[in-house]
Order: sequence, then structure tokens, then C-alpha cells
Amino acid sequence: MATRVGRARWSTRLAAGVAAAVALALTGCSGSAAEQSGKEFTYWSMWKSGEPQQKVLADAIADFEQQHNVKIKVQWQGRTNLQKLVPALNTNDVPDLVDGPYLKMYPALAATKQALGLGEAYATQVDGKPAGELIPAKLLQNINIKYPDGQPWMLPYQIQSDAVWFNAAKHPELKTNPPKTWGEFIALLDRLKAAGETPIAADGDVAGYNAAYFGTMVLRESGPGALMKLASDKSGAAWDDPAVLDAAKKVEQLVKGGYFIKGYQASKFPAQQQKWANNGAALMFMGSWMPTESASYAAAGFEFGSFPFPTTGSQDSQRADVLGFAVPKKAKNAKLAQEFAAFFLGKKYQDASGAEAKMLPIRSDATTAPELADVKATLDNASAYHQQLDGVAFPGYNEKVLSPNDDELFLGKISAEQFVSKMKAAQIAYWKTQN
Amino acid sequence: MTTTALPRASSPETRSTPARRGGSLADQRRRLFVPFVGPALLLYVVLFVVPIFGAVWISFHKWAGSGPMTWSGIDNYRGLVADPLFRQSLGNTLKLLFVVGIAIFVLSFAMALVLRDMAGRKIVRSVIFFPHLVNALVYGILVGFIFNPDGLANSILKPLGVDAPPQWLAQDNLFPLIMVTMVWMTTGYYTTILMAGVDRIPPYYYEDCALAGANAWQRLRHVILPLTWDVFGVCAVLWTISSVKIFEIIWIFGASNGTGVPPAQTWTAAVYTYVTAFSGDSIPAYGAATASAVLSLFLVTVLVVLLRRVMRRDVIEF
Repeated sequence: MATRVGRARWSTRLAAGVAAAVALALTGCSGSAAEQSGKEFTYWSMWKSGEPQQKVLADAIADFEQQHNVKIKVQWQGRTNLQKLVPALNTNDVPDLVDGPYLKMYPALAATKQALGLGEAYATQVDGKPAGELIPAKLLQNINIKYPDGQPWMLPYQIQSDAVWFNAAKHPELKTNPPKTWGEFIALLDRLKAAGETPIAADGDVAGYNAAYFGTMVLRESGPGALMKLASDKSGAAWDDPAVLDAAKKVEQLVKGGYFIKGYQASKFPAQQQKWANNGAALMFMGSWMPTESASYAAAGFEFGSFPFPTTGSQDSQRADVLGFAVPKKAKNAKLAQEFAAFFLGKKYQDASGAEAKMLPIRSDATTAPELADVKATLDNASAYHQQLDGVAFPGYNEKVLSPNDDELFLGKISAEQFVSKMKAAQIAYWKTQN
Repeated sequence: MTTTALPRASSPETRSTPARRGGSLADQRRRLFVPFVGPALLLYVVLFVVPIFGAVWISFHKWAGSGPMTWSGIDNYRGLVADPLFRQSLGNTLKLLFVVGIAIFVLSFAMALVLRDMAGRKIVRSVIFFPHLVNALVYGILVGFIFNPDGLANSILKPLGVDAPPQWLAQDNLFPLIMVTMVWMTTGYYTTILMAGVDRIPPYYYEDCALAGANAWQRLRHVILPLTWDVFGVCAVLWTISSVKIFEIIWIFGASNGTGVPPAQTWTAAVYTYVTAFSGDSIPAYGAATASAVLSLFLVTVLVVLLRRVMRRDVIEF
């Protein structure tokens, strides 16, 4: 009997022990954050180890650590950092600093008011000025990075724009005399075609790149804010606007005109971009990251040149997506994180971002790489700015309503009229499920 | 110490003496039941059962993943049923389950039979199992090399005089391509399991068949199938569960190597769920995503139960 009692005890003890271990393991993850001292903070970066911009950030981190005697625990997570952040926001283990483009930052942090107001960062002195003054206000005309109470929740450090790219070594005439209007653009495409050159390269499997054509076309027709207005119309009536049909018709014109590279409907990114960089096509409409992204496989002697997307009327706003830092409300070391965010706006790092990482720094006085000189000049002279897809980020709208239908238009499966009527129906159905 | 009273109440002394030995074993088993099963059960409950109920709870809300949750009743489910993309995604899941499943089983069974008396079967078995070991991501990358407009397939076709090759990677062709790849990847795995079942049939049944003058079909119908039926049942359940979870191959196949969301024509219910919550391009809809996951789970449960029912036979011991 004694042994049985002993065994029973043993089994209860074991069960209790296991239960305690499980409980510890489950709560363990929340313990580490509390132990952090005030002299360190965590940063989940959108850059991956080895990327040029990552190297500039790593230098800034090293300098900041030395000057302020702190430790920055940085994780080079890459572009999915904000997707990983959302579930983490429900725990106590939240990074103190994250970065990303507005288009991803807004849905992940600001829409749910989980980002901290960055008043302190904006007021921090950088090169003798408050950091907030280093950010050109005109860029933010149509991008709202402020809460209703006026507190900004994002500190931008970079701009992303777009342009029609070409090899300036092969087409010097485009550098001196680029097409400005839609008519001139089509004339150029026809000339290229007649000369036996493929006019435009496109990776048709990336829905976002495809949608950039229709999106930009709508903004060209009706100005910044037009796409947002179109997408938020619950009745779908906005799709009856002739300007919208006209935008779709211009996309159709490019498709039906046979200007796109052969096989763009059936390839895997970056196959067509690689072909373009090896002179397989003359032009490619792409973001300002093009020189960084395609430099490694571009043909020998390739010289990156660009001109802005042509105008179709009086609207000529330029794409200016801002990319920057945010601090989650739950961050335990928000003060330090804000200090570092402002520190990165220092001229030294902004210059390095422009010259070495070949990005567009937010500060207008920062150095720009020669590849981006045209884009920078266009941005400096522009009177209005818009974001990619006008900042539309309603839950699932881009993925389930816009992309599937826009892909069909861009890949030549449906006409402009069909596209507009399908979009109208899909959008009405979409808004019905959102209430 | 109240626990000591429990084993006593069911202790063997209360039972008839002849059963004493067996009863003691049963008693020991019973006492070991809690320490052995308890931890696993606890982990299972904490890590799987509780989250499932959590997911059901979330699915009745509108929630962006953080911040406030607002109760929305069955709106998420209503939205799913009304969404043609969800229906299409669910249809794709069912295609993978049934079309790919049947193809895999026919091929696996045929291979198991052929390999039964083939020379060098061990080597062949390793070779056909190999595709299953390769990460699905590799196929996603490889498909670009082979099927891009300038890829391997078209380079081979060109000298043969094919000037207008099919658009292999066009959006409408991607899903059939994924289905073929799934068959290629998975057949070896099920062949190996089925071969184990076929191998276990004692040779004297075949000798008996030979003596009775049974042909190959009769041998299959009356010996091999009945004696491997339980293995089939297990394989069918395994495939049902794994086919519903297929995700990464679709993500990589059609999503420009993972830089965006794959085209909607290729989505399965799992991809639909992921896109709804984690696409990163729009405000996350965790409520709608969990609703889609819960609906998928419900579907799998029903299918597994039905399958077990249909496949139920008395296990033949031999």
C-alpha cells in the first residue's frame, strides 16, 4: 500500500510539476521585457542584413550607441516586420521602434491608434534644427501622418517615388527630350515599335505593379485624392465617371497596342525586369528603388535614366510615398527610440542614404545618387504629390476587389468597359460586407 | 492525500480473484494514465483547444489585430458566404483534396503494386520518395526557371519548331500547374506508406491465388485491397488534413517569389485566410480571417468524419 500511495503522490507531483513548467513557459515570454533597463531599446527593421540602406542604418546605430551609451537590440526582419508587429501588439513584448512605408504602417499601427504621438522626436534638435522642420511640409499635403489632435505618429526618413525608367546610354534622346503628354508617350512607343524595339517591360505577376498603371492614370485624370474617393464610394456610382473609364481605356490602349513585352502575362518576377535591364525592352514604369534593385544584373554600361509618368490632362502630381519610423504605444523605451529616430535624420546618414544606398532621403538638402537625379529634380519642382494607390487600404479591398479585376484588365483578358462594370459590382458587394 | 482513496476504490481486491493478475495490470495502467497522458493533454488543450475557442470568439468580431474589438455577430460568416473569392478558394481546396487526392492514390497504389516484385525496389522507393523531401519553396523557384517565357521549357520547344508555346505561367494555368506539382511531390510519400501495407500481406495468399487460378484483377480485388484497406483509410485522413493546409507552394508559385499576394485564381481557403489577416497592404481583418479558418476547420472535421464512415470496414487480422 505504501508504494501505491508513493506512486500516487509521485504522479500528482509530476503532473503539478509539468503544469507549473507549462505555466512558466507560457508566461516566460512576457518576463524579458520587464527586465530591460532604460538604457536599451528594441528595433524591428524593415531592412534585411546586407541591403545598402541597412548598412547606413547599422552605422547610425553604432554611432548612437557610442554617443549615448545605450544598447540598441536590432532585428533585421525585412519587409514583413509590420505583419509580425500586429500580433505582437497584443502581448507585452513589443519593439520600441519599427519602420516601414506609410502604406503598410497606417494599416498596421495608425488605423487602430496603436502608434505613439512622436512630438518628442519632432522636437529633438538635429543639426541645430528641430527634426520636424527637416521634413518638407509640401510632401505631406496629401499624406496624413497626424492623429486628429495634431500629433504626428510617423517620422519619415525616406521618400519613394516612381518614374518611367530607360537606359540613358542607349536612348540619350529621352534624357534631353522626354515625352511629357500621353500623346507624346504613345508616339514614342510607336517609334520604338517601328524601330524593332520592345517598348515596355512589365512583370505582370505582381498585382501591385499592374495596379500602378490604372491608379496613376486615375490620379492623372482627376488629381490626388481621386482614387481614394473612387474606392470609398459605397454606392459604386463613382465608377460611372467618364474620367474613370478613360483611365481604364488608356491602360487598355497599352495592352491592345502590343506595347508590353512578350510573355508579360506569364512570367515570374523579376524575369521581365531583368530583361529590361539587359536592353530587352526600352522602358519600364517602376519605383525609385529601380537602380538599387536592378543594378546587380544590368547590362554592362547601363545608365539609369528616367522621366515622370506622362500627363493626360492638367494633373501632374508626383508620387511621394514616405517611409519612416514609428513607436508603438506599448513601447517601454519610447523616449530613447524617439531620440534615435530623430538622430537618423542627421545630415551624415541622410547623405549616406542618398549616395551609398541610392535611396531618396527625406531631407531636401541631402545628397542624391546620379541615378536618381531626374526623379529628385521632378519631385523638387512638382506642385502636388500623391501616394501609391492614393493610400487606399480598406480591409481586403486591394487584394480582393482591385487586384483581381485590375489584373484581368492589365493582362488583356477584359476590356476597359468590362473592367469598370466588374469593379462597380465588386465594390458594391465589398462595402455591403463591411458594415 | 485524498488521491490515495481513489485507486483503492477501484483496486483489484474488490474484483473476482481469477482476474487479479490482469486487473492489477489494468489498475497500473489506470494509475499511469494521468502522468502519461496528462502533460500531453494539457499541452494540447492549452496550445490547440483553447486557441480554437479563442478563434471562434474572434470570428464574431470586427478586429484589426490590435486595438478595440467590436462585436459583429455572424457578419463575418455572412460576408464569407457572399464573397465569390472565398467560394472560389474553397473550391480550389476541394480540388486539391479530391482531384489531386484521387490522382495520388491511383498512382501510389499502382506504383506500390508494380514495385512489389520489382528488382531494385529499395532504390526506386528512395527515388520516388525524394520529391517529398524537397522543400515546396524549391519548386516555386524552379517553376520560374522552367516555365518563364525564356525558360527551359520554351528553349527546348523552340528548336522543335514551336513558335507560339503556351503561356505556362499565365494566371489561369497556375493552379493546374500547382496541382500537377502536388501530385509529383506527394505520390512518393503515399507509395511508401501503401507499400508497407502491401508488403505485410503474407506470400501464401498469393500462392493460394496462383493455385486457384486467380487473375491479377481478382487478386487485387479479393486479396490486396481488403488487406490494405485500413492503411488506405489512414492515408485518406492524412491527405484530407494536409491538403486543407496547403499554403506555401501556392504562395511561392504565383506570388512572384513571395513579393506580393498570389493571383486570386490560385487561392485556397488557407491562402484566403492568410491574405485576409496578413497581406500587409490593407487594414488587417482578423475577424473575417478567423471566420474563414473556423469554417475551413469545420469543413475538414466533417470530411474526416464522413471519410472514416465511408472507409469503415472490419480490420482483417492476419
